Amino acid sequence: MLIALGLITLPHSQHLPLPLFLFFVVLWTWRFIAIWKPEWLPGKITVFLLMLAAIGLLYSQHQGVLGRAGGTSLFVVALGLKLLEIRGTRDIYLIVFLGFIVAATEFLYQQNIVMAIYIVLVCIFLLATLITINGLHAKISPTLKKAGIIVLQAMPIAAIIFVLFPRIEAPHFKWLDAEKNQVTGLSDTLEPGAISELGLSPELVFRVKFDGDIPPPDERYWRGPVFTYTDGKRWRESPNRFFKRYMDTPRFKGKAYHYTLLMEPQNKPWVFALEMPAHFEAPLQRNSFYQLITTKDPTQRAEYKITSYTHFNTGYLTKTELKDTLQLPGKPSERIVKLVKQLGGFDLKPEQFIANLFNYFRQENFFYTLMPKKMENKPIETFLFERRYGFCSHYATAFVYLMRVADIPARVIGGYQGGELNEAGNFLEVRQANAHAWAEVWLHDKGWSRFDPTTAIAPERVEQTLDIEQQIATRTLTIVTPEVLHQSMDWLKQAKQVLGSVDYSWQRWIINYNRTSQQGIFKHLGIKDLKTIIYWLLVLVGTVTLILARFILKNKAQPVDPAVKLYRQFCQKIPDVTLNPGEAPYRFAARCRQAHPKQAETIDRIIQLFVKIRYYPNSPKETLEQLKKQVDHFSCT
Amino acid sequence: MENSLTPLLNAANQIILGKDRQIRLAVCCLIAKGHLLIEDIPGVGKTTLSHTLARLFGLDYQRIQFTSDILPADIIGSSVFDAERHEFRFHHGPIFNQMILADEINRSTPKAQSALLEAMEEEQVTVEGQTYPLPKPFFVIATQNPSHQIGTFPLPESQLDRFLMRIELGYPNREAERALLQGEQRHKIIAELPVMLAPEQLNALQQAVTEIYASPALLDYVQNIIDFSRQSDEFSAGLSPRGGLALLTASKAWALMEQRHAVIPEDVQAVLAAVAGHRLKAGSTDAASIVAPILEHVPVV
Repeated sequence: MLIALGLITLPHSQHLPLPLFLFFVVLWTWRFIAIWKPEWLPGKITVFLLMLAAIGLLYSQHQGVLGRAGGTSLFVVALGLKLLEIRGTRDIYLIVFLGFIVAATEFLYQQNIVMAIYIVLVCIFLLATLITINGLHAKISPTLKKAGIIVLQAMPIAAIIFVLFPRIEAPHFKWLDAEKNQVTGLSDTLEPGAISELGLSPELVFRVKFDGDIPPPDERYWRGPVFTYTDGKRWRESPNRFFKRYMDTPRFKGKAYHYTLLMEPQNKPWVFALEMPAHFEAPLQRNSFYQLITTKDPTQRAEYKITSYTHFNTGYLTKTELKDTLQLPGKPSERIVKLVKQLGGFDLKPEQFIANLFNYFRQENFFYTLMPKKMENKPIETFLFERRYGFCSHYATAFVYLMRVADIPARVIGGYQGGELNEAGNFLEVRQANAHAWAEVWLHDKGWSRFDPTTAIAPERVEQTLDIEQQIATRTLTIVTPEVLHQSMDWLKQAKQVLGSVDYSWQRWIINYNRTSQQGIFKHLGIKDLKTIIYWLLVLVGTVTLILARFILKNKAQPVDPAVKLYRQFCQKIPDVTLNPGEAPYRFAARCRQAHPKQAETIDRIIQLFVKIRYYPNSPKETLEQLKKQVDHFSCT
Repeated sequence: MENSLTPLLNAANQIILGKDRQIRLAVCCLIAKGHLLIEDIPGVGKTTLSHTLARLFGLDYQRIQFTSDILPADIIGSSVFDAERHEFRFHHGPIFNQMILADEINRSTPKAQSALLEAMEEEQVTVEGQTYPLPKPFFVIATQNPSHQIGTFPLPESQLDRFLMRIELGYPNREAERALLQGEQRHKIIAELPVMLAPEQLNALQQAVTEIYASPALLDYVQNIIDFSRQSDEFSAGLSPRGGLALLTASKAWALMEQRHAVIPEDVQAVLAAVAGHRLKAGSTDAASIVAPILEHVPVV
């Protein structure tokens, strides 16, 4: 049981504040040791003190027990405390049920299929504990088997209730949402090095299913927030979000991509569309930076239908843009001005300058790394002249900074780049590890154009293993994580993709099953009002229960003696004479003889055979076959 | 088997006319090593039946007429002072016989009844600290008048349980009655009856009963009967485990008499009224109607 509880709490380690989780682990370990050393169990006073400590901890971490995290922590800590005072069966029941609650709270954080399977398995363990308490089995494997059977039997009913139970459109528990959702993701400020934390996270951000062709890897730029304003260290979005360009669409060229975007829960209302989004539907809006924003709650999963073109021309530059995208935090240092001059920033065409700068990155001793050291003071200068180990955001910010010094309008774009094609489901999976930052420069004839300085770094200079170099080179992945590394193994990759595909369906059909989809099904079934739903529910649940009950009882019923089966067959074959329940075979035979004197001999033979098989010792098998033959051939007509 | 029992049954049928079934049951009871209780109104031939059986089996027998003033010592015996030897000597009572005919057992007081019934159960008698074993085989054939008659002390259920079977005789039919009226006096014929079954033959028969096979299917049926008697509202108390054993043993003996090696449901049904009637409803005499619901409702297969 302790192991089951440990397993239940394990996934909570991701969300719970560390002190609280450690507190639970300590209590759990204590209890575990106490199995062998019962005298180590704390007395009443110690438990009381521990409880005070727990209350203190809870308040220090959550300022109360309301809300998702607070509530979960309360349950976990309570579970830990209760572990220390198991005295009777009642306490074990309490702990097991607390365990179920803690397991359920896990779904408040994660709802993917892996977690669902995990929780089901853990629940089987808990059920097994209940079975052991009730003394049905002593050994582990039959107990687990029984628990598994119980869960399996519960499945059909769960499925029916899932489909039919009236869905209340979640009256958003504001106190649940109000809390800071600790989902990692792009933030609204960019500080070079910040994205690198994301670079290690394989967490899914969104999936894209294309109707038709999928754009080539080097065009898979998923546009997110646009960082315009900088204080030298951090980059922010411009406060001027809706200006003239808001209403205006770029001129699109080339191929149109139609796709469905399934966003995972996010903190920000940002929807990462392929550059550049052209057509989209409510609740999506586009701001002046060509970024898509949803007006709905981003913490819910959502699907959007979008059309994008990878080739476009945004045309003119507004005054606000000009002002914003040339903004510099004070005067640039001499070193930087010198560098810009050296690269021709002041006299060459912008395109030429950009090319020179790319060459500079390539030829000088610049490295690409996932784990850059933090650059506290003047990060751009430090990066350009001293460290030269950088992450995409370092390159992007430095690039934009140099552009602005050269009086060229430029800005940093956050978002995601790439995405892995799931061949099993034929969709792209974009993960936090795909987070990226690139630059946009305004050119006279082209409008805002994308430049990704990270691509400038030559593969052989990347300070990572060969695999990653190749991937960087082929642009299948911009940012490579140790986890992604394993994916290069083929079968592993396939398995992962199948899993991803299953998870995609899970999200679409199970998690996203809401009132609207339910009503669709109801319409299909012809259900109109609540009463019919309840009837359906009752009838279906009742039927399943009956089927299960029959199944279970049937297994327990004794096998019928084949001789008795034949005897009954024989009894039914005789017209006008019915066997009374209390009638012994010979008496029945006598009645039959009376009714059908012609058949008397056969009847006697059959009855004698039956009695021989059923009541005499060691009747040979042939006798049964004989009886079968006789009964089969018997007929009164 | 056949040779030994058929003449015996035939001879008995010559004496007690038209009671073939009751005679068979009585013989069945004896070869199942059980005590027999015959219950009916006076004058229908209870005593005649028991005398006949005793004669035919060739056992030493003694009749004890139970009266309201009979004492335990009259049954068991007592210590009598021997004037010649100057000591008390135990004087064996009538119970020290292979077969006891306890006539009108319910006319005596419970004290005298229990003296007999204790001896039946323990197959020995203890007087003044001295234990005397009873002879073997030891049978008791008791007769009693229906309890509604005047001057009866009905046997309690606990003591009725010690009789393997209780049978009723009933009035003879018209033909039998005529034959009885025309024929010789019964007690004369009885006195002239030859012994039909040697003691070793009886012993062999009793041994053979224990070797009759009872299949699991049959035991199921017997158990279903027992369960039904315990659960049904018809009976105040169901069959005891001893009652169940009695039913099986009697069924085996019946199967033996029917010349079968295995018990079949018919055997159980044949003995059921006699074995279970007095155990399920002590007061009633109509055993057939008592067990009728069992025969009707308990499924055979």
